[in-house]
Amino acid sequence: MKILALISYTLRELASKATLYVLAGISTIIIIFMLLGLSSQVTGDSTVATMFGIPVTPPMPVNDIEKLIRLLEVGLADGLFSGIVIFGVIATAGIIPSIMDRGTIDLYLSKPIARWELLLGKSLGAVAVVFLNILYFLGAMWLIVGIKIGIWNAHLIWAVFQLTFLFACLFCLVLLLGVVSRSSALPILGAFLYLLVVGAILEHREQSLYRISENVIYRGILDGLYYLLPQLSALKKSVSDQIMGNAFDWKPFVQSALSAATLFLGSAAVFSKKDF
Amino acid sequence: MHAITSDSLSKTYRNGLAKRKEIKALQDFSISVEEGQIFSLLGPNGAGKTTFIKILLSLVHPTAGHASILGQRLPSVHVKERVGYLPENHRFPTYLTAGQALKLFGQLSGVRHSKLKTLIPHLLRLVGISEWQGTKVKRYSKGMMQRLGLAQALINDPQVIFLDEPTDGVDPIGRKEIRDVLLNLKQQGKTVFLNSHLLSEVELISDGVAIIDRGKLLKVGSVHELTTTDSQYQIGIGTTLPESFRAEASALLLKLAYGVDGVTAELKNNDELNRLIDLLRKHRVEILSIAKKRSTLEESFLNLIKREAAQ
Repeated sequence: MKILALISYTLRELASKATLYVLAGISTIIIIFMLLGLSSQVTGDSTVATMFGIPVTPPMPVNDIEKLIRLLEVGLADGLFSGIVIFGVIATAGIIPSIMDRGTIDLYLSKPIARWELLLGKSLGAVAVVFLNILYFLGAMWLIVGIKIGIWNAHLIWAVFQLTFLFACLFCLVLLLGVVSRSSALPILGAFLYLLVVGAILEHREQSLYRISENVIYRGILDGLYYLLPQLSALKKSVSDQIMGNAFDWKPFVQSALSAATLFLGSAAVFSKKDF
Repeated sequence: MHAITSDSLSKTYRNGLAKRKEIKALQDFSISVEEGQIFSLLGPNGAGKTTFIKILLSLVHPTAGHASILGQRLPSVHVKERVGYLPENHRFPTYLTAGQALKLFGQLSGVRHSKLKTLIPHLLRLVGISEWQGTKVKRYSKGMMQRLGLAQALINDPQVIFLDEPTDGVDPIGRKEIRDVLLNLKQQGKTVFLNSHLLSEVELISDGVAIIDRGKLLKVGSVHELTTTDSQYQIGIGTTLPESFRAEASALLLKLAYGVDGVTAELKNNDELNRLIDLLRKHRVEILSIAKKRSTLEESFLNLIKREAAQ
């Protein structure tokens, strides 16, 4: 009940901020655009996908058009990923530092709730908000494509949970930075730095950083960092493969789940030792 | 049973780059508070009052010593089910109304949803802000925030209530209302632990008082014990003092202060008191009353702090 209360009030807190409305607004514009514009024309055995009556594909057999639509869905999921990273991180990065403010944390911690429960409840609230945004966008896309083109790609619904998981992993990093720094700016900077620079460098460390030194400890640290942090690029690729109906790779999910759990436990350990 | 006990509780904060700078916020602090009392902890700013409460509520980890609430050794999450706390300068989430804020903290306290429906309007009425239940907290004045904070502290019907400067920013009528709430809680058998700078208010309602300075416990006792001075007597007289009495008293090295309605005497022991009485009788001064002089809590507090600073 306590965790549920925290989730519910975190949803309310985030609903009072404008950031996620921007993401929801962009999603709505794309949904309306697709809803009004997307349709298909069936001629014999072939189908043409159109936007506002203009064919956007040559006449194709139904199987091929399905592949094309899936590519479109991958593009939408990729776009959504960028939206989640930008707006989701900005909107949620402050929720942990804000409860650590003097006068606020006193109210929370004087209640019969463990510190890790407080972190968990607030984190789940942040993830729930992003989940609702992803569900809104991809759920609407799934319905529009299904109703208008007749292609019901269940993999797109599965991607809702995968993208939410991806955000949850990223949020664990944001959480740790927030708990350590008590600031909302540093977690945002850290998350973007990780996504744009550190994550990419670590992923391609064998072609780049390995060349600096052959020292075993140095390379061990690089490998350790790579496995300690969530593997977001690999996760994103797995989501795309999954939407396309290709073989699904569980490895980055398992590694990222372990990494997220480690980051959360680290955050809880730091949080539990703090004096307020 | 004791509602609160602390045994040699200490807290040292370490600051600076290498954490070399030490601030001893609490030093070997040991007190016991009986159940059903209103107990006040007094001290100047930075004396360690809030640190003590925060240790009891596990907001701050002690460096040494231990404490318990209602017989349960701390830290304990479960004991907080029976504890309420009004922090100093508390900040409610500004996006919530008073009703929503109380619901959140009620749920976190483990109060059932059905009970909260009746409890929230009752508490808001009790603290005098029921007409503001649906207004966002960000529109509240300091006094209204204090009242809401008090309602929040009572949301789980606690046995022990910690209040840190509860009347801060509250107008005189509001202060009286809060005092009445606290006295009512005492009548219900609840223990109220108060941190306050308003010594005149503390004096009005407290059963027990402890004085703390620079993390050390200076004195603990009832308000009566703390305000009664062993060496000073107030002697009421019915006739004017003759000049010859004053001269003789001065020759006997008695420390006397003369007022309109009598004499205040600072005496070392009962012998000096008897000598003074003999002297008054000798000069045919009518003695109406003899009583140990009582100072206000504020006077006692200031004297104690001054003495401590001089040492």
